[in-house]
Amino acid sequence: MRRSASAFAACALALLLAAPASALLSVTASTDRDSVEISGNLYLTVTVSGDSASVPEPKLPNMQSFNVYSSGRSQSISIINGKITTSVSFTYILSPRFLGLQTIPSITVSNGRENAATTEMQVTVTKAKQPSAQQRPQQPSRQQRQARGKTAGRGEQIFLKAETDKKTAYPGEQINISIKFYTSVPLSSNPQYVPPAFKNLISEDLPPVRNGETDIGGVRYAYSEIKAALFALNPGPAEIRSATVIAQVPSEEAIDPFDPNFFQKFMAISGQQGQSREFSTEPLSIDIKPLPAGAPPDFSGAVGNYTIAAVTDRPEARAGEAVNFSITITGSGNLKAVSAPKFPDLPDFKVFDTMSSLDVKKEGDLISGKKTFTYILVPRNEGKKTVPPIKFSFFEPRSGAYRELQTNPVTLQVEKGGQAAKSVNFNTGSGGAPVTASGSDIRYVSEKQGADALPFLAASVLALPYWTHAFPVVLLLLCFWLARMNRFKLANPLLFRFRKARSEASRDIDEAEALIKTNKPNEAVSVLYDSFMNYLSDKCGVKVSALTIRKAAGLVKSRFPAATDRSLEEICELWAALELRHFSPEAAGSEGASDLAKKYSLLLELLEKELR
Amino acid sequence: MKKIFLALILALPSAAAAYDRGELAEFNDQYRNGQYEEALEGYKLIIAKEPANQWAWYNAGNALFRLNRIGPAVFNYARAFMLDPRSPDIRANLDFALRQTGQSLVPEGAPAALHYLYYLVSETELKASAILLFWLACLAGAAAFLLDGGRGGAAAGRVSLAAAGLLVFTAVWLGARQSSPFSSSGVVIKAGGTRMLSGPGEKFKTYASAPEGRLVRILDTGDEAYYEIGLQKEGIKGWALKTEIERL
Repeated sequence: MRRSASAFAACALALLLAAPASALLSVTASTDRDSVEISGNLYLTVTVSGDSASVPEPKLPNMQSFNVYSSGRSQSISIINGKITTSVSFTYILSPRFLGLQTIPSITVSNGRENAATTEMQVTVTKAKQPSAQQRPQQPSRQQRQARGKTAGRGEQIFLKAETDKKTAYPGEQINISIKFYTSVPLSSNPQYVPPAFKNLISEDLPPVRNGETDIGGVRYAYSEIKAALFALNPGPAEIRSATVIAQVPSEEAIDPFDPNFFQKFMAISGQQGQSREFSTEPLSIDIKPLPAGAPPDFSGAVGNYTIAAVTDRPEARAGEAVNFSITITGSGNLKAVSAPKFPDLPDFKVFDTMSSLDVKKEGDLISGKKTFTYILVPRNEGKKTVPPIKFSFFEPRSGAYRELQTNPVTLQVEKGGQAAKSVNFNTGSGGAPVTASGSDIRYVSEKQGADALPFLAASVLALPYWTHAFPVVLLLLCFWLARMNRFKLANPLLFRFRKARSEASRDIDEAEALIKTNKPNEAVSVLYDSFMNYLSDKCGVKVSALTIRKAAGLVKSRFPAATDRSLEEICELWAALELRHFSPEAAGSEGASDLAKKYSLLLELLEKELR
Repeated sequence: MKKIFLALILALPSAAAAYDRGELAEFNDQYRNGQYEEALEGYKLIIAKEPANQWAWYNAGNALFRLNRIGPAVFNYARAFMLDPRSPDIRANLDFALRQTGQSLVPEGAPAALHYLYYLVSETELKASAILLFWLACLAGAAAFLLDGGRGGAAAGRVSLAAAGLLVFTAVWLGARQSSPFSSSGVVIKAGGTRMLSGPGEKFKTYASAPEGRLVRILDTGDEAYYEIGLQKEGIKGWALKTEIERL
């Protein structure tokens, strides 16, 4: 433990000592040629190199001999043994203003700690070659020009005009603006150009300044054209405010050749500088449309037309070794605004910071180029490791649709790492840095088999036919009725005995007939006798033991007024017959049990009609 | 008896997995390899066999999301959420997909815990609970009547009353859920959104549009070709083609 701590301290000290030595800022400058025609252009490339991911921009000195236009930048990053070196090339177009040997002064750059400077350079500016007769455009003679100039109004001799190639655009879509300064008269000095201010737009110069001649309304004009690419920031109105040119215009006072003071006036005019006049463009409005809905989830605002490619700096590596993985987005559009595609989670690699480099071209007035995002991947284990496709979405204004691209999977053969590889460490910041979310995405698909118990059970219950749910209701109602019945029965026993008297008596008759068939007439008569007593007891609401023939007849007559005398007589007769047969079978005579049963049955039918 | 019942309950999900277990792994592998269309077809097969399988809906939503079909993705996530609103994965992906279309699962200003409680039980589970409580209340009531006057009858009566009370509570909860954005609603599935007309037909004026993935309340289903839909947030309603709205 102590040994590792001391080794760590030694490493840290070595790094601290090495830091100032490696912190080198340098700048170089070069031109694409040593001589240039006065009507031509010269490319100046200033390259700034440093040991950090970003380097400062150079400060261009005041160059009187040239008009200077920025023409883009390109950046390259190299990582060797974990050491980062950044090199940014700034390109400028120089339009010479004077003939002869011209000097490009020293260009300086500073990052606050260090300063660097280029050496002076010299460029020879030569006269423009005369175009051949065929190539030269038909230019009107000076006399013709003067004649035409007279036909045109004096106020139209010089004017400034601005126009855009689009009136509506999407945010991030390139809009080209052309600002042309026309003059049909020679100017006293170089005009001063004040570029327009922009609202809801950012601009990128499109050098160089174009010069030429044209005919407008029969008047020959010389013009200078400045172009710029504009990119809208947000949906809504965008505005290009007035551009201004301040020019020294010759005096408008005409000299009469027959004036006596002609020579005095002529000398006075030729000696003066002319009038200083301002020419401005009308403000222009552009309608910025919102991007259509339905943007892909990984869309981060890139607008244009792009392709994407991914590559590693080598196909093989050892576990623990750093590998540069670059994603390059190439195409036309505002590449500065293109952000890095979302990098997928790679369990097989450690992934370190993103660095981007930009290479912008402005050919054909179209902002294009490439932007490269470099990641440092450190494989964790040996084997065949694959970086999955990386998605990138952009909006294509031409088709008005979103496009989704993805890189091909990149495979890396990783071998077992050695000790040296294991010690590779990228210092990506101070230790213990907080975890910051760099993006968000949907969660992964579920591996679960089938539905969970509860939702499935719920769905199963709901799948039951509706009529099945009537079952508990029917059961409840039935039980409720039974309970009511039971209570009613308990509360009214005599009533139930009254209602059930007939059915019990019929059952007894059936039993007696069965006994008769088995040749048991005495038992059958006993059954009939008991049954008849019970029947009368149930109908009259009196106990059997308290019932006599007379009392029974009286009760029947009093309780059931509809009972006829015949019925009462029949009751008495049957009672007597049953009693006789029941208590003294020998004295009963010939009347058989079967006859008694029939008589009892007939009497029951009669009584049921009357005893209600 | 209890053990048998428990075994039956536990066996239900496995019985539900009527499809070949290797199929799901295959579909997930296709998803992993970026073959989202193929994976989606597989998930649809599972849905056809098991409409109550929330994970089939969820995985289909994922595949659709990767295919940049945000409307159908929202619909599938919403179906999964309606089946299993407690799943953190389903909630996360539904919320993520809704946020792509300017919506969110938890309404602005609403406490997340309260929202979670509100959706603790799915509508299907609430309805099933109501049915089971109804059965319990009836059967316990029947037992109470049958055992009228006895100690068992009184106990059954108390169970019946408790079940009836819970049934009322469930019914109130279910009623409250009718105002949920997922109740009587649909999702705009047409890429680029759907037009809202002032009547059910092309002769009526288009006066609004609902973007793809937007949850809409379905107000009327009577017309053959059009739904009457409402956008609660904006307070507008109109008619949209049934082919452009997927009913939840």
